[in-house]
Amino acid sequence: MRHYENLVIVKPTLTEEEIKNTLAIIEEVIVSNGGEIIGRDAMGMKKLAYPIEKNMRGYFYVLYYTIAPAAISEIERRFRINEEILRFVTMKYDSKREIKAWNTMVEKTKKVVAATPVAAPVVTEPVVAETTEEVAS
Amino acid sequence: MSEKRKYKKRFCKYCEAKVDFIDYKDVPSLKYSLSERFKIMPRRLTGNCKRHQDMVTISIKQSRAAALIPYTVSRKVVAGAPFDDRNY
Repeated sequence: MRHYENLVIVKPTLTEEEIKNTLAIIEEVIVSNGGEIIGRDAMGMKKLAYPIEKNMRGYFYVLYYTIAPAAISEIERRFRINEEILRFVTMKYDSKREIKAWNTMVEKTKKVVAATPVAAPVVTEPVVAETTEEVAS
Repeated sequence: MSEKRKYKKRFCKYCEAKVDFIDYKDVPSLKYSLSERFKIMPRRLTGNCKRHQDMVTISIKQSRAAALIPYTVSRKVVAGAPFDDRNY
């Protein structure tokens, strides 16, 4: 079992219900291949940095799961077939340091879920505060 | 003072914050190493150390693939409003 993360961008033209359905299909693909979904993070509708298939926006959804490495190619094949998915990025977390980061990210998603009524806080690192002024100058 | 030494600080910001892993989804922390046109800034300008520069370049490229950061920015976008309502 290895730690993985998948970011999926779903088409913005779908209605909310259709988006929910496609997300359910995505999760089903992972579960049916023997994966275990541990964290989910809905980043929501966002503007894309560049148009993909003439879409300027997309629904971002992040999944954290553990799965046997051999199943990844099958998952990616299924994602490619699905026409509702604009883009997916699969990330492997292998080394000790990466797994630690993976765990903190999973915990972050759980916290956000717990604190949803308090307008989903954007968790930022301490580096961020300094970066903004540097960019502006 | 801070304006004068814009690029002359020779210490690594990521080392100072003891960053162990840079997430490609955390765009604000990546922005520090990006130019106005979203090019990756060289180490001699940002002062990043080699280890963190490698981590940053990898995660910038990952987040470009995920459409969080643009590959290139046209002249129009740069001249108009560099950081308008787009939230990348």
